[in-house]
Amino acid sequence: MPATPSPRSYLPEHDLMFFGGVPAVYHCHHFNLFLDQTIDDAIGPQAGAALRFTAARAASHDLLAGLAARAGTSTPIERLALAQDTFARMGHGRLGVTADARGGEAIGEWLHYGFAWREKYGSVVRRTRPADAFAAGFAAAAVEVAFGLPRETMDAAEIECIATKGARCRFTLTPGAAPPAVPSVGEAEVRAQLRPSFPGREEQAIAKIAAGLRDFTAGVAGDAHGLVPAFGVLVTMHLAGYYNRICCDAVRQVEARAPQVVGAIETLLRESGHVCVFNTFGGILLSPEWEGLVGPPDSDPAQIVVGCLGIARALGFGHWTLGELAPGERLVVRTPSSYESVYSLARYGKLPRPNEYFLQGASLAIAQLAHRVDWKSRPQLTPEVYAALFQGGELPWKAEQTESSSCGHPRSEVVVTRVA
Amino acid sequence: MAPPKLSEIVADIPSLRGVFITAMPDCLLYEAWTRSEESWGTEDVASYFGDLVRANREGLKALKSWSAEMQITIESADLLLVLRELRSDFVVAFAFQREVPLGMVRLHTKRALDRLGALLPAVEAEARPRGARIVAFLQKYAPDPHAVLQRVALQTGITVDTLHRPEALDQGQVALLESAVKDVLGLQTLSI
Repeated sequence: MPATPSPRSYLPEHDLMFFGGVPAVYHCHHFNLFLDQTIDDAIGPQAGAALRFTAARAASHDLLAGLAARAGTSTPIERLALAQDTFARMGHGRLGVTADARGGEAIGEWLHYGFAWREKYGSVVRRTRPADAFAAGFAAAAVEVAFGLPRETMDAAEIECIATKGARCRFTLTPGAAPPAVPSVGEAEVRAQLRPSFPGREEQAIAKIAAGLRDFTAGVAGDAHGLVPAFGVLVTMHLAGYYNRICCDAVRQVEARAPQVVGAIETLLRESGHVCVFNTFGGILLSPEWEGLVGPPDSDPAQIVVGCLGIARALGFGHWTLGELAPGERLVVRTPSSYESVYSLARYGKLPRPNEYFLQGASLAIAQLAHRVDWKSRPQLTPEVYAALFQGGELPWKAEQTESSSCGHPRSEVVVTRVA
Repeated sequence: MAPPKLSEIVADIPSLRGVFITAMPDCLLYEAWTRSEESWGTEDVASYFGDLVRANREGLKALKSWSAEMQITIESADLLLVLRELRSDFVVAFAFQREVPLGMVRLHTKRALDRLGALLPAVEAEARPRGARIVAFLQKYAPDPHAVLQRVALQTGITVDTLHRPEALDQGQVALLESAVKDVLGLQTLSI
């Protein structure tokens, strides 16, 4: 079998990442679980799972078709093996697909979503619905690509899941009818939407951190279970098209069906970014790798903010820059483009209001990390520490997106201010 | 003659670490006594014990095995807990050191319970609206409680502002709320 390629690349000056020519980012299990949950809350569990599966299958098809072509695979067995290896390298667990063009089955072991859900929530909530729509979509796409089937013509259903106390995750794969096509947003479409880049304050320091972290993450891949436990979280390399499609479609459906609660889905999408950045960026700042690269974090908010912006670039979120920082009062984050805005522009054109919810929640979390964590005490970022951020109700900081390239502005800007 | 204080009733019981009296049905702390070295959050403890007894009662009723004399005994790593309904409006929880023989525990709790009856007032259970009780239950048990009202808003179409005033929900909204809360908590029924 040909060796699995490592085709990760970044757009210079924009810090947007691609994997096999497909937009990609790194995200943690906190983000992945909360986002999937929000989609299901917004449009219902069945429609939510269907949307997540469809989005996963479409984005995975683009990825696997690109990787198969680059690797020069010539047989279905090679292409299935490449898909399974890629899945594990991306930190999504172990997926064994046994199928032909008429379908078959897939077995998942240590699947990122099901395993992470069980670990995070399994002792608190009884789950009755499977958790691995992404793996289902990936498995279906793997069969499509392996056997040269038209995209989005293989269905998958998860019939056993560890999140619902199954012994493992199992999927059936059956041919189906292709849904109405949603155009892919690949590298060419992303490039067409870029705004001119610009530097911000502390540019050199941020760029240096981003470069160092990129070198480090280049070698990161799934362990024996196909998982990436790092920095206190489970990390995945993920497909931006998946995230963007489920977010955009769910928001649009809520706008149409229940406009009175659009604010609720926007709050929850922001929260998915907030919980992600607080835990993942915080975990990176506390890691030995960070200490080797930058030094131990101290209580200077500017140092924390600079570090976080460097991390964001390394993870493929975009060319996040420091616009302003008045410690204890105000933080302004700006970027010419984000992984959210380029997708939105490519698919919908200019929107009437900002929709970079991850950027909003992440900026808010950066302010929390900079001002509400005692770094010198080397804290453990436990669920209790996270919950304590909300003691007394609302956070003492708020984020407002004042500009968005999704709306045709020349840049995106989030202003985070202290409330009390 | 003035009724005895809680501490007068229980402080001399050997190996007793704390007592929590929970007012039902709202699972609110009525009174607690703990030894000075304990650092328990008495409000939280009382509330969870109230829910535990209620769930136990419903479970036993489902098994057709409930009686007013039921008592819950929990043996944890370092505690021996006895929970008991006292009338229909209070739950009393005794927390003993783990190594105390069960027979002694039963003896002490029975004696204490006989005297605690005089301590407790006749309470007219407040008829809290069901919507309010459901929201309180949700916020106590949901994962990520800071975000849970937004989740329910999305599932039900009821705005977050309205959910902040659950006592004003109409019957249809309460039904939607209950369905969403069961989904969020992964429960088939709410024992509220």
